[in-house]
Amino acid sequence: MKGIWLVLKKELIEFTKDRKTMFFTLALPVVLYPLLFGMIGKMVSREVQQARSSQTRIALIDSSKVLEQFLQSRPDDFKLVPVPDGDVKQAIKDDQLEMLVTLESSAFQDMAEHRTIPVNVLYNKVEKTGQVGMKRLEDVLQELDKTTVQSRLLKLGASTQLAMPTEIHSQQVGGAELALAKLLGTMLPYILMLMLFTGSMQLGIYVTAGERERGTLITLLATGLPRHEIIWGKMLYVFFMGIIISIINIASMAFSMGTLFGSMETKAEYAAMAGQEAVQSMSIASVADPTIIALTLLLMLPLGLMFSNLIILLGIQAKNSQEAGTAMIPLMLLVVALSIFSMMPGIEKVGLLPYIPIVNISLAIRKLFVQQAGVLEYLIAFFMTVAMAALLTYISTKLLSRESAIFKST
Amino acid sequence: MIRVVDIHKTFTVKDKKTRKNKIIDAVKGISFQVKPGEIYGLLGPNGAGKSTTLRMIAGLMEPQRGSIEVFGYDTKTSSEKVRGNLGFLSTDLGVYGRFSPRELLRIFGEFQGVDAAVAERRGMYLLDKLDLTSFADVKMESFSSGQKQKVSIARALLHDPRAVLFDEPTTGLDVLTAKTVLDLLKIMKEEERAVIVSTHVLPMVEQLCDRVGIIFNGKLHGDASPKEILAQYGVTTLDEVFFKLAADGGEV
Repeated sequence: MKGIWLVLKKELIEFTKDRKTMFFTLALPVVLYPLLFGMIGKMVSREVQQARSSQTRIALIDSSKVLEQFLQSRPDDFKLVPVPDGDVKQAIKDDQLEMLVTLESSAFQDMAEHRTIPVNVLYNKVEKTGQVGMKRLEDVLQELDKTTVQSRLLKLGASTQLAMPTEIHSQQVGGAELALAKLLGTMLPYILMLMLFTGSMQLGIYVTAGERERGTLITLLATGLPRHEIIWGKMLYVFFMGIIISIINIASMAFSMGTLFGSMETKAEYAAMAGQEAVQSMSIASVADPTIIALTLLLMLPLGLMFSNLIILLGIQAKNSQEAGTAMIPLMLLVVALSIFSMMPGIEKVGLLPYIPIVNISLAIRKLFVQQAGVLEYLIAFFMTVAMAALLTYISTKLLSRESAIFKST
Repeated sequence: MIRVVDIHKTFTVKDKKTRKNKIIDAVKGISFQVKPGEIYGLLGPNGAGKSTTLRMIAGLMEPQRGSIEVFGYDTKTSSEKVRGNLGFLSTDLGVYGRFSPRELLRIFGEFQGVDAAVAERRGMYLLDKLDLTSFADVKMESFSSGQKQKVSIARALLHDPRAVLFDEPTTGLDVLTAKTVLDLLKIMKEEERAVIVSTHVLPMVEQLCDRVGIIFNGKLHGDASPKEILAQYGVTTLDEVFFKLAADGGEV
């Protein structure tokens, strides 16, 4: 068994000798994700802040002055502007104003006679400013409706509560944290699998097909080391690097996401998106406690072993690096497809999925993050992947020990 | 002692025209022995079966029939022991470019179970013999083919093997480097190692080898001293032996 460690050691030393590969594999993700997420955060914050701080410019056609005073009572939110000449739609698109609100000239009369007043709004839903403006207008109209109904009820001598037969007092099981946890639980398996496979793929090709290409594989096989120990050593290297690369990428991503969600604007933005109220404690750490992280890492081990087996198997079978790379693309696409499939909403309710490799890992991680009871699914996913990794190790050891797999040119 | 007894090896290749599998008899019943302190020259044209024979002796391939013993170890049952007692130099000039010769020798010393201090001492001795001391700590990616060949030779001899297999050791080398390699082969002979050299360089064989075997179409011819072979074929150079074998399809 000493040979396995010696081969692993040799591969690791060789890896450290190439500074470029080391930088791109280990250091770049540490720098890249904070930069990337930082940029996203800045952009989102700026957009949200801009949308919030600026007034919504409204061109109002309201000859009976029903709405005007309500809008004017909120100078921080609204600014009344003249109706533009020409094409109003184009003017909105050109950012000359956010919306055109039109009320019938009979609006005041209609209101007095208890008829519904149509409020026609023209706005750009695609723009953040348009969305914010519409939300503000809805709030104003809601207030207008409430005030109008209450005054009508008072006139009739009835209780104002007549307009509110029910009133919701909601209490949430999970706030914005749960929404974030669900997002993480869905995204993480996909990112994790992609990193685990693609991160070690090139390194796997380098130590297999690459060694054959460079003519060094035969020198390694000509030593006194048992062939299976050489194969296992290389497998262990690919596995180890896959895990390290995944952890670095995910940690850097988590840190960057934490920073991104840490900013109030983004937090509020995300909370609005998720339909939750923004909370101060919203962070990655708040949704993934150490047990969840440990259990996720535990699932990565057999999965990483399975992937490294496949990479080594394809790498040794290939005549050269190019062929190995080409052979791995369909496999990578399969991994991507299965992990995307497992991201689909409601997929966890399909009964057979816990028995489909790779997909079951995704589901188990998702359940861990949203804190759903899924012990059985977790165990099935874990032991099934362990069994598959063991089977693949057996098959690849058998196949790769054949001289036909090693001497491709003969 | 290296003892090769009636070994056979076939390969299955795909015929591109007919798209059918074709069986090629690469080695057809080869037998010979190499004693300690003896240099055995294995000659033959390209594709004759020299490299396959050497790979079988090195335990990298298995003969379908016959047996090979290297200092008492059978290549089929004890291939790891065989490789541990054997220094193999392949035709591929494969060196790990990211390592320096010193690092490579240290790592291969570990692979062959050599103590680190011994590996360092012997490695430096070999690098000195091969005029590579000044390059001991230079990354090999910038090395010339001659320098790579020298490092490969040092790697093959690092664990002090009792048997040495050199597959075309002077191919692509300049005259000076080739001489260094030949001098090293002579030292190995003096050190009582069993040496097999596969080569195309016939003058080198006449000058260096104690006995010669010519592989032609997977069969071994000669298996005698260069002088005896020349007498056997009634010619004055090994080139002429080659031509005779080629003319008669290896059935002389």
